[in-house]
Amino acid sequence: MEYQVNKKVSIFSVLAISILSTSFSTAVLSANDDSLTVYSTRKEHLIEPLFNAFTDKTGIRVKYLTGKGGALIERIKLEGKKTKADLFMTVDAGNLWYAGTQNLFQPVSSEIIKNNIPKHLRDPNGLWSGLSVRARTIIYSTDRVNPSELSTYQDLANKKWKGKLCLRTSKKVYTKSLVSSLIHHDGIEKTTEVVRGWIDNLAATPHAEDVHIMGSILAGQCDVGIVNSYYFGRLQAEDPNVALKLFWANQDSTGTHVNVSGAGVIKHSKNKENAIKLLEFLTSVEAQKIYVDLNKEYPASQKLKADNLIALWGDFNQDKMNLSVAGKNQADSVSLMQREGYK
Amino acid sequence: MNRKENNSNFLMGMLALAVSFPIIVVCSAWFFPGTELWSHFLENLLPELIVSTLILLLGVGIGVSVLGTLLAYLVVMVEFPGRRWLEWALFLPFAIPAYVLAFVYLGVFDYSGYAQVWLREFTGMPGFDIRAGSWAIILTFVLVFYPYVYMIARASFKRQKIQMIEAGKMLGAKPFLVFWKISVPLARPAIAAGLLVTLMETLADFGVVSLFNYSTFTTAIYSAWGDFRSIEVAAQLASILVLIAFFLIYFEKKARGKAKYYSSDVSHIRPYNAEGISGWIIFLFVFGVFMLSFAMPMLQLVIWSMKKYSEEISQFYFNYLSSTGILTVSATILTVAVATMLALPSRRKDESKALQLLIRFSTLGYALPGSVMAVGLLYGVQNISLVSIHLGGSSINHILFGSVALLLFAYISRFMAIAFNSTSASSEQIKPVFEQSARLLGSSRMRLIKEIYLPMMTPGILAGGLLVAVDVMKELPATYLLRPFGWDTLAIRVFELSSEGLYDRAAIPALIMVFLGAIIMLLFIRLDSEKY
Repeated sequence: MEYQVNKKVSIFSVLAISILSTSFSTAVLSANDDSLTVYSTRKEHLIEPLFNAFTDKTGIRVKYLTGKGGALIERIKLEGKKTKADLFMTVDAGNLWYAGTQNLFQPVSSEIIKNNIPKHLRDPNGLWSGLSVRARTIIYSTDRVNPSELSTYQDLANKKWKGKLCLRTSKKVYTKSLVSSLIHHDGIEKTTEVVRGWIDNLAATPHAEDVHIMGSILAGQCDVGIVNSYYFGRLQAEDPNVALKLFWANQDSTGTHVNVSGAGVIKHSKNKENAIKLLEFLTSVEAQKIYVDLNKEYPASQKLKADNLIALWGDFNQDKMNLSVAGKNQADSVSLMQREGYK
Repeated sequence: MNRKENNSNFLMGMLALAVSFPIIVVCSAWFFPGTELWSHFLENLLPELIVSTLILLLGVGIGVSVLGTLLAYLVVMVEFPGRRWLEWALFLPFAIPAYVLAFVYLGVFDYSGYAQVWLREFTGMPGFDIRAGSWAIILTFVLVFYPYVYMIARASFKRQKIQMIEAGKMLGAKPFLVFWKISVPLARPAIAAGLLVTLMETLADFGVVSLFNYSTFTTAIYSAWGDFRSIEVAAQLASILVLIAFFLIYFEKKARGKAKYYSSDVSHIRPYNAEGISGWIIFLFVFGVFMLSFAMPMLQLVIWSMKKYSEEISQFYFNYLSSTGILTVSATILTVAVATMLALPSRRKDESKALQLLIRFSTLGYALPGSVMAVGLLYGVQNISLVSIHLGGSSINHILFGSVALLLFAYISRFMAIAFNSTSASSEQIKPVFEQSARLLGSSRMRLIKEIYLPMMTPGILAGGLLVAVDVMKELPATYLLRPFGWDTLAIRVFELSSEGLYDRAAIPALIMVFLGAIIMLLFIRLDSEKY
């Protein structure tokens, strides 16, 4: 008997807690009318310092909710006009492009953004803007590879790399957009051959993370791989003498493939002006510096020289393909990799 | 009287239906036309995925059954050095989230992990890719999920009639024959129940398979959604998992059969005493499992944490802890309350196949990948909103999205299988004679529930609660999508750091989580020892 009563009480208290906390969270939101809400697939530790800097400068508070890309996009879609989100931040141009096609964003025409961010890193219609750049390029063992042997992504399909190549899984966006760019430049047929050659040359099952690729090269499992520049930046910051180096791929042809993290203003934002202000701030030199310091990424802004560490790796030619193409080609790129059995 | 029982049946039905809500939404995706995506998948992806999923299920299934049963048998039936503490230590791996174990194993045992580096240096043997093939991922799943079988099989062995085993011994049967011919068949229902939960969780897993880059059915689901942006095909694929889980439950029921040779009291006499060298061999085996599945991963997490402790710990941790705590406690109480109501014995329920089917269906959320289920829930709410707008009302999306209530609902739906397994196991032991005599004495059903059923089901209810608590605490995808602002949990923190490759920092929230989970498991063990 007593047991039953206790249980009832606790169920009620739980319900009370839930209802209270739900209303509490909405109350906080509505209390600050000019505060901003950001939905982000970029992780908390990488965005929080940026928002703090913005609040310090403007007094506008920023709340954020992190999540996974596909799921968060569905949530914003379903929230519709009632959404609390003012800005959607994500990594990978493919995701930004897709969010654009789902009518999540409204076009923004800001001279500040246009001045700060080069054209190929922005949506042609102003729906979103890139904020930081990650180059996806070749990494090699300084012990076992002579950089004169290296040239292009396509060349890694050459038989001379048999049993020496490590790649990241085709399930991750960075692989997808790299292959999308190859399809853009070379067409599907040629890219299929390249992907086939890559798979033949693999020394190990494609890795889940770029850090694992670097670990495998260091351990001698493979000699070359393709990684995002900032993963190497982080590793080098911890161990300056690490026996790895970046090689800028495709310098004599299309340029090294770059991808962005970026953001756009939500169509149903209640606070468009401040949202644009935040987006503009994120392209400013001050914010761009935070991007570089925090995560060893390249600034998207053309006005900022990269971090010292990155400057060490030398300047390189970027692939100037407009990044929305990476999104458009994504389905083709995934179909191709799945057909060829690239895991 | 009859009307009242009808009412309670109706209530159970409605409750089960409510719990099934997200599952129904996911399955309703078949009303949408399939796209040409299906032909691409059927041609290029599914044949391989079905084979690799079956290999995984088969390997993990055999692995957990053998390991879980063997360990349970050893600690219950055999006296060997260290048995007393190993008996409870073997519960602990349940507190480690599967994806955490996976990234620890990869960090230690893959080609660049130091275990392999040492091996190469000292023996000169060539290195190997542990992610090639499927043995390593099967082993990982086995080591993280064996406690499901171990827990239930152990309880079952404890209740086996000692006389039967003594009889076997007296007839001259060797220990192995007694194990194989008497103990295992008697424990079969328990083993099957543990196996069922394991297989459902393996089917739904996304974290471990991603880290190993092993393709399973969930790969196709996420590819449909993430690559081809077709949430309909993703849901259609996911509903196939529901179907598979349904078959698994059917087989489990079959395996359970009708036989029950349980003694109501528990014997503390161990029929076998392993002395000398054989005792130590058994010790080494059991201790090895404990080391590999718990002690070693913990040590690795501690080593990683030490490096990044000052960088990672911040005032945010108050927040992670409180959200984790509140969500875990509320979700557990609610889930177990619903599971108890669904498991209450009733003659009418026994007679209604439809109701039993519906209740079983409501437990299938466990086999769905968490984010698919969570999105299903959002779409379900959206549909209710559309109906409400159609009827002249307004949308309820903005009230429910990002509310604790919806998140709790998701947990109830997702973990019903775990809670219901426990509560129904304890209610099945209640003999129908209680209901008959209560009826004869003119006692109301309410009174019967309060005074007979609930007290008798209490151990099952509490055990289910503790298991659900550990699972809710580890849950990632549904929490990640549905949580309100600022309700980040420890599991989310682990994910955010590890998915950026920052394993050493991720070790800190992971360690806290395992610590809390271990406390819950210790509570479970205490409860368990009081029971016997």
